Amino acid sequence: MSDNYEPKILAFLCNWCAYAGADLAGVSRFQYPPTLRVIRTMCSGRVDPLYIAGGLINGYDSVFISG
Amino acid sequence: MVARLLDLAGIERNRVQLRRVSAAEGALFANYVKEVSQITTELGPFDTSKYRLRLAAIKRALGTRRLRWLSGMEHRLSIEENVYGEKTNPELMQEVLDESIQSEYHKALILEMLELQPLSVREMAEISGLPVYTVSLRLNELENERKAEFHSHEGTTARFASLVASPMSEAKAADDSDYPLLKDSDHIKVQKAVSH
Repeated sequence: MSDNYEPKILAFLCNWCAYAGADLAGVSRFQYPPTLRVIRTMCSGRVDPLYIAGGLINGYDSVFISG
Repeated sequence: MVARLLDLAGIERNRVQLRRVSAAEGALFANYVKEVSQITTELGPFDTSKYRLRLAAIKRALGTRRLRWLSGMEHRLSIEENVYGEKTNPELMQEVLDESIQSEYHKALILEMLELQPLSVREMAEISGLPVYTVSLRLNELENERKAEFHSHEGTTARFASLVASPMSEAKAADDSDYPLLKDSDHIKVQKAVSH
């Protein structure tokens, strides 16, 4: 593994909780790694287990669900 | 459920993470992103090609009617009550779930292999790494469900083939279960009827 390996993480964020939280983190200038590719969902309950499998199949290193 | 399927497939379950963050918790979110990035970095890049068959089987298993019906029911039946006011023992519930997940995963794995070409039980056991007995048991279940059938034999070795058209067909069937999908033979019948 190279030292500058940067993981590719698929993130499902709830519009009302984590997405707003992510927005707040940005506004408050909290530093966090640029490893996420975000998909906004209207609720984290909307995330079908099939999407998680789909994320891994399509080459993401991990899947992060937050809400 | 996804975590258990990943376990069965030999994929690190830490690759899927769930965290609760409220809209007011920007710092917490940033920390979680750091944490998840750290975990993923430690696990290293995910080699999709190595796990193609198993991932396809996971996806297929998750699309089956049985697992879609069962997902989320643990909470409803063991924390809340059913219509008779009975609570289910969480351990018993987990046992039933595990059994279903394992069975659906094995069957999905077999169907994924048979989709490509007819195979014998021994060949399937070699490709998938499952014990021969397990393959033969699950294949029997698939035959009863009319999803696989005897295809041909070479000497005394029997080969089996899949009767399921595409990986997502069962998930589709689950979506509009009031309208069961036509079998291929039905399509042929319809075509013949039209051409006459």
